[in-house]
Parts: sequence; structure tokens; C-alpha cells
Amino acid sequence: MAQQVISGLAAGSSYALLALGLVVTMKTTSVPNFAMGAMGLLPVYVIRSLWSQLHLPYGLAILAGIVVAFGMGWVVERLTIRHLIGLSHFTTVLMTIGIWFALNSIVGLLWGYEPQPLPGLVSGSFDLGQVVVTNAQLMTLAVGLAIAGWLIVFFRTTWGVRMRAVAEDPLVPRLLGVRVATISGLSWAIASGIAAIAVLLSAQASVLNPQSGDDLIISGFVAATAGGFSSIGGAVIGGLALGVLENLAGAYLSGAAASTVALLGIMVILLVRPTGLLGPGTGREV
Amino acid sequence: MSPAVRYGAIGFGVLALGAGFFFAPAYLNAYLMYLLTWIAIYAIAGTGLTVLMGWTGQIALAHAGLFGVGAYATAYLAGHGWPWPLAALTSSTASAGLGALVGLPAARLRGFYLAIATLAFGELLHQAFVQLTPLTRGPQGMAVAPIQLDGIDTPSLVWYLAMVMLAAVMVTLTALGRSRIGRCLKAVRDIESATGSLGISAMRYKLLAFAISAFLAGLAGAVFGQLITFLTPDLFDLPLLVIFLVQLFVGGVNRLSGALIGAIFVIAVRELLQSHVVSSLVPALVGSGQTLAFGLTLILVVRYLPGGLTSLPGRLRSRRPRPATLSQVE
Repeated sequence: MAQQVISGLAAGSSYALLALGLVVTMKTTSVPNFAMGAMGLLPVYVIRSLWSQLHLPYGLAILAGIVVAFGMGWVVERLTIRHLIGLSHFTTVLMTIGIWFALNSIVGLLWGYEPQPLPGLVSGSFDLGQVVVTNAQLMTLAVGLAIAGWLIVFFRTTWGVRMRAVAEDPLVPRLLGVRVATISGLSWAIASGIAAIAVLLSAQASVLNPQSGDDLIISGFVAATAGGFSSIGGAVIGGLALGVLENLAGAYLSGAAASTVALLGIMVILLVRPTGLLGPGTGREV
Repeated sequence: MSPAVRYGAIGFGVLALGAGFFFAPAYLNAYLMYLLTWIAIYAIAGTGLTVLMGWTGQIALAHAGLFGVGAYATAYLAGHGWPWPLAALTSSTASAGLGALVGLPAARLRGFYLAIATLAFGELLHQAFVQLTPLTRGPQGMAVAPIQLDGIDTPSLVWYLAMVMLAAVMVTLTALGRSRIGRCLKAVRDIESATGSLGISAMRYKLLAFAISAFLAGLAGAVFGQLITFLTPDLFDLPLLVIFLVQLFVGGVNRLSGALIGAIFVIAVRELLQSHVVSSLVPALVGSGQTLAFGLTLILVVRYLPGGLTSLPGRLRSRRPRPATLSQVE
């Protein structure tokens, strides 16, 4: 049981991270980003190629990959999302679905559909009597919590406040001298970087394939929905809870049950409390 | 032109077209007939999405799964001795029920929350196709027993089935769109907050639109099973969803004709990318080129032509660009 909870928390940490990426784009550009998983996937393939083909040290490859993720987020926002500001979610949902599939097929074109192994980031584990905790699990959890903490602080800084103001109303901040375009691009860059870390952590010491991003996006949506798409704490708790539930269902029911937990969870959350379990009490007009 | 002459001309045109389709199996080559049948099947499913996404303005991403429900359930029932028409009707009705079920949250959810819920539901259906091996045989795949009728070969029979269904669906939905129900659906899209005071139950009409579109997805899926003859879960996953979305928005989400034009577009693009010329020039494009093309098409259409191809004549006629076509009342 405790063992399942530990692995659940580690898996949930990636879900929480992807959800944080979703919350960032939602908070600033009010776009529900269905392409988030694919945007995290491409940089991780870049990291793998830098490490395995150019023989860069793994840490350096990761840094370079995150820079690529930032750049890609900025470019995607610049080319597509910026032109849709003020349009309905109907339009932005379709746009991000288009981006999702375009990016996924670019990954397939460049790197193929064969699963590719990804090395672990840290190794080793320690025994706590009944449960074994690996360093990789601890690190995943720590990275997730650290990024969540950083975001909470960040949204209170000048840049963070500007981001939230732009989400509230794209016009007034502009009158006050805020560069809305810069803010919007920056938020997509940050979100894309976070998504890359989410995909990297979930695929570490395992394999990477063009579906890796798709597997994460639904879980990320569940976690973000639990937090009403605005609460960072809610997204983290939602992600961790989902990871634990999936692992428990996998251990005590069946493997098939584990993969339906997220899908059922999202429908239950939306039916019971559409604004999110931990979100604001009053729904934001969407 | 006097009405008598006009109706005479229309009547003659319909007869000529009908005769053309009736005798098509005699003069069309088998592959072209196969593609045209495929287009008709996508068009049937697409008109359902026009009702739901175009007229009623609800995002729905579960229809690849519902299409699969129609295909699998019909194949299963017909494989257990049911007559095909009864099996197809039962399966489409089951699909309509599932559609109404996923539409239930629609009364409370808006915009992207509905998109997430329906996407999850579609994935749930895909998982069911994979996991429920006693019914679907899972990833191994399931052969579909071909329908039989004396004196006619199966491809021709499937051709007639698809064409007659498409014609019936088009006529019925055109009438529906002009009826009170059609106007109420569009009212839910355009002035939802005012519908209550007009005595229109927005929830009832949303559920109706979900049920109609799911029924048509199921019906199209039933015929699709006959066309493809072998079902695997991956046929009804995300790539099909993207095809439906591209079809709908390239054609024009508000018009029934858009569903047909969009269906022609997606099949033409697919054939072009699989063609000998492209595959010999850029071999890498054969695998993921299709998804790439559809993803980029969706991006470009949403960005530059939100009303789709069927909005072009209107846009060219009026020099002033029209307001966003998604909210345009026909």
C-alpha cells in the first residue's frame, strides 16, 4: 500500500507539472492548451538526440532542451495564439488541437515511431523497512513541488501580476503600459518549459515515443481541472491524488482500471463541481 | 424563371443525379467507388457534427469513439444473427444514448470544460474497444461479416446503402434546420441566456443535438464497418477525431453542405499523400504526413478561414469581411 502511494506520488508529480503548464497559459492568455503534452514532448526528443547523437553531457542536454522548449513556446504563441486573443474558447481549443497533431507528427517524422530509451537522471534507492524509495522518485516529487513553489512566488512578482492582469482583461493593462504581447509570449515559453520537464520526468529511465505526450495530457487536464484551472496548489494536489489513485487501482483492481481512473475522474469532477474541486467557488465566465 | 420551370429543372436534376448514382457501380472503377462510399460515410457523420457544433455551438470531441460504437456494435449484433438493418439501427440508438449521456454535463459546462469532458469520454470508448475483448476482440481486431442481398455484390450494396443514407440524412436535416427545432438549436448557440425567458429549454435542445449527432456518428460507423470489413480500436482514436474536425471546419461548420465538401477534402488529401508521386518524392511523408497535413490545415483554417470553404462565395460577394462565422445566423 505505502509502496503504491510512493510510486503514485512520483507519477502524480509529472501530472501536476503538466497541469501547472496548463494553468500558466490559462491564467495569462486564457487558452486551454490541448497541445501542452506535444509541446513538452518535442524538446525531450531534442534532449535525447543531443545526448545520444552529439554525446553532450546529459545535464547540459537537458538545459539546452529546456531552452528549446522556451523558444518553441514563444514561437507557437507568436504564430498562432496571438492572433486569436479575444476569440472564444471554441476557436482556441480547435487551434491548440491543430498544434497538438502538427507537433506530434513532426516528432514522428523526425524521430520515427519506434520507442526510444531515455536514461535515468539519478540512481540508487533506500530501504525504509517496508517500502523502498528510489532517489528518482524523490527527485521527481521535489522538482514538481519546487516548480509549483516557484510559480506561486512568481505570480506575486511584477511580471506575474502583469500576467494575471492580461488574463483578466487584455485591453486595460495595455493602456497602463504593459506589453501584452511580451507577457503572452513569455507565459507560453514558461509553460512549454514546464511541460518539457513533465515529459522528461515521466519518461526517465523508461522509453520515449510520440504518444508519451498524449498519455500525459488527459492526466494533466484532470489535475488542472481539480484546481479549477487557476489554483496552483489545486493542480499539484490534483496531480498527486490522481497518481496515487491510479497506482492503487492498478495494484488492487487491474491494469485496465488504472488507465481509466483519469478518464472517469475528469467526468466525475466536472459533473459534481464544474469549477474544480479546489477552485474558486464562483465559476469564472468561460 | 417561373416556379414551374424552376421546380421542373430541379426535379430533372435530382432524377439525373439519382440515375447517375444508381448506375454508378456499372461504370465506376472499384477503387473510386470505394473512395466515394468513404466520403459519403464521413459526410453522414459530419452532418451530425454540423448540427451539434455548428448549429448548437457545443464543442464535442467524443465522436470518433461514438463512430466506433456504431461500427463495433453493429458488427457484433449482425455477427450474432441479427438482420443488419436492425443491428445498425439498434447500435446507432445506443450511440445516441451515449451521446446524450456525455451531453448531460453540457448543460452545466461551457467551452473548454466540455471539450475536456468529451475528449475524455472518447478516450474512454477507445479504452473500452481495447479492453472489452469478449465483445471487440481488442487490438487483435474483429472481422465484419459482409451484408448479403441476392443479385448484388457487397461493394455495390454498401455504395447504395451509403448514398441513400446520405441523401435521406441531408433531406431530413435540411428540413430540421428550417423547422422550429432548428431555430431553437441556433438560439441556444446565439442567445443562450435569453432562451429561458423565451420558453426554450437550452438543456433539452443541447441534449437533442448531442443525441442526433451521436446517432448519425453511430449510423455512419455501422456502414463504415461494411466498407472497411475489419475493425481495430485504433481506427477510432485521436487521428479520426482530427479528421472529423478538419472535415467540419474546412467545409464550414454552419452548413450541411460543408460536411460533404469537407469529407471530399479529407479523402482527397489522404489519397494525394498516399499517392505514388508523393511517396516516391518524400517517403517519410507516408506515415505521419497525413496527421501533419491535417494538423496544419486545422491551424490555417481556424486562423484564416473560420467559416470554411462554404463561406467563401459569401465572403467574396460582400466586400466587407463578415463577423466571425461561428456565430453567424443563417
